[in-house]
Amino acid sequence: MANPSAPPATVSIRPLSPYFFILPAVAIMVAGLVYPVLQAFYLSLFDWKIGTRFEDAPFVGTRHFVRMLTDDNVHESIWVTLRFGFWTITIEMFLGVSLALLLEKPIRGASVFRTIFILPLMISPVVVGLIWRYLFDARIGWINYYLGMVGIEPQVWLGDPELAFFAIVFTDIWQWTPFIFIIVIAGLQALPSEILEASRIDGANWWQHILFVKLPMIRSILLIALLLRLIDVFRALEVMYILTGGGPGRATELLSLHIYNRAFETQQLGYASAISVLLILIVFGLSFAILVAGNPMKEKSDI
Amino acid sequence: MRFLDWKNRLAAVTMGAALAIAGPLMANPYEKYAGTTLVISWPALAHFTAAEELLEEFTEETGIEVEVDALQYLKLRDRQLLEMSKEEGEYDIVSWVVMWKGEYVAKGLLTPLSQFFTNGALVDPEFDIDDIADAYLQNGGIVGGGKGYLPGKSGALYGLPFGAETSILAYRKDIFEEQGLAVPTTYDELAGVMTQLGEAGIPAMTSRGKTGHQVTAGWLLHLAPMGGKIFDDQWNPVINSPEAVKAAEFMRHVVQTGPTGIETFGFGEASAAFLQGDAALYLDTLKIAAMSRNPNLSTVDGNVGFALHPTDVRCGSETGGFAIGIPANSQNQEAAFLLIQYLTNKAGDQRMVELGGDPIRHSTIQNNADLFPEYPVVAEQLPCADPDWRPLIPEWNELNIDVLGQALTKVITTDDPIQPIMDEANEKARAIMEREGYYKWAEYRQGS
Repeated sequence: MANPSAPPATVSIRPLSPYFFILPAVAIMVAGLVYPVLQAFYLSLFDWKIGTRFEDAPFVGTRHFVRMLTDDNVHESIWVTLRFGFWTITIEMFLGVSLALLLEKPIRGASVFRTIFILPLMISPVVVGLIWRYLFDARIGWINYYLGMVGIEPQVWLGDPELAFFAIVFTDIWQWTPFIFIIVIAGLQALPSEILEASRIDGANWWQHILFVKLPMIRSILLIALLLRLIDVFRALEVMYILTGGGPGRATELLSLHIYNRAFETQQLGYASAISVLLILIVFGLSFAILVAGNPMKEKSDI
Repeated sequence: MRFLDWKNRLAAVTMGAALAIAGPLMANPYEKYAGTTLVISWPALAHFTAAEELLEEFTEETGIEVEVDALQYLKLRDRQLLEMSKEEGEYDIVSWVVMWKGEYVAKGLLTPLSQFFTNGALVDPEFDIDDIADAYLQNGGIVGGGKGYLPGKSGALYGLPFGAETSILAYRKDIFEEQGLAVPTTYDELAGVMTQLGEAGIPAMTSRGKTGHQVTAGWLLHLAPMGGKIFDDQWNPVINSPEAVKAAEFMRHVVQTGPTGIETFGFGEASAAFLQGDAALYLDTLKIAAMSRNPNLSTVDGNVGFALHPTDVRCGSETGGFAIGIPANSQNQEAAFLLIQYLTNKAGDQRMVELGGDPIRHSTIQNNADLFPEYPVVAEQLPCADPDWRPLIPEWNELNIDVLGQALTKVITTDDPIQPIMDEANEKARAIMEREGYYKWAEYRQGS
């Protein structure tokens, strides 16, 4: 039985106190994250052009959304983004995990290698775009120069639909493999040595050791890395903007770049906002699916 | 004697005092604005970089300070639109690519220059606006004439040309001599020269070709001489006409015989290919001439010859480049007008030539004809500059980038038949014009 001397008011407040303490964080989230999204949605209901008063912009209701669903350019752009995401994330995960497994042991010079590997991550995306734009340049680029030395005809890397797509995938892999590498190597180093030793004593060979012990133990870290990269793929803009501007045609126009081009190149701000609402829904859906498939926080939910 | 002396002294003092009082009132139209700071938005292009020295001279002479916000030329529009749509804008002077003039005026963002030309205290009587090349003035500055952008009585002046241009042909004299080639005067000859150079393993003609505005600009250069247009007189798009398809075919030929990478070339890359010796021909803006003399940009100075833009069924060269004007929300409009006048009057135009820029006045072109080999060519080319080279309407941006820019990329990056590509683009163009209400009058007349 409850202690009759305790004041009942304290008991009834206690369940609310956690909400009270997260209130500031929630308020900032609402102001910084939810409000702009609602604003984008509001803008998507109007046909507003920069340089005119927003009050004069005609209300078009859901016309932009209807147009978006039947717009081949939007479909093409989503398809480009999905292909881009598939190739980059698959290769980055494979390379990042492999490198982390190779450089995990304290071999001589490992720290030097690690530093070199994470260099691309430290470079601003705009600079990454510029570096590769000049490397891939058909006329003055190093890549064509060295290919020419071994007798390969100069290629128009950024002006051919397939080569340009290859170029943006390649650049993304160059830039983001280190990210996977860092996360995975941090996870590997935090693994308890008892379990690793136990598996070795039980006779697990190198492959079994990696596939059945190490990787399952860092599963939640891999999922978080995958999730972050997936979201990044849909947000990626700067590098492609500088490298190809989405061209040739729309061969490298990722969804975010498509939105940018709609909004600023052709001044269809309302329509661009409608597509960005779609982008948010896609990213939300993908994130949700991954979290449902394997919530990395699930095991720790009882803490 | 002494009395006279005293009297003389008094007279001298009195006169001195009178002068001292009259001094500030003496004719100096700039005095009122000394200490003002003007902010200019213009492109980071050679002509404008050269003009910065002229701005310093302006400040020294008038006491009016000037700040420059220079951007890559295609990025100007976003920035300017944002600034000009505020209550009070940062910019006192903006420089626009001529194709934006319709949009700026339709949105009410520019001040008509008539407001200043009616002010006798501001206008220099020796300004002589008739000396400015008509093609430049009409194309960059007059808005609201025929079809809304052509010369015409309903038009009004919103800007003065500065960094305006037409197109001429530049060629490598050394290569032409070596290969025994004659300078082409027609498109047939030009195509022949390109084929010959291609067969000799020499990259023939550079061109812009990047998706969007750039590839369209490359194609437009050939459309006008071949007799094509974007719209007929009833605003029906005709970009699938035989002339337009022929221009697209020619564009494909340019890419096949030109330097590697035209598909990725913007204005800077296309020019660099010629200036660094990777192309034998350049058919685009006359700005190439001044650029070829700039040792920072060019390795071919001394080997470049200039000729008229070749003709096909007609002579028709580009009308483009830039004009400068005053935003409606500028806080220093009168001082801004004084600066624009300073840059574009006879003395300013002559200084621009000396600083490595391009002139806009007939008198400047004539006075310097012996100094620069391209000036006589430009003087002969100007009457051919086509005011209807492209429609400078607010919808042009979308047609330029989204419709033509995509279709022409397909033309130059694939071997697909050209007619269907242009047919599809024509339908898209029509849909945009329909959406913007261009056919309402025709439908109304048909209905009644």
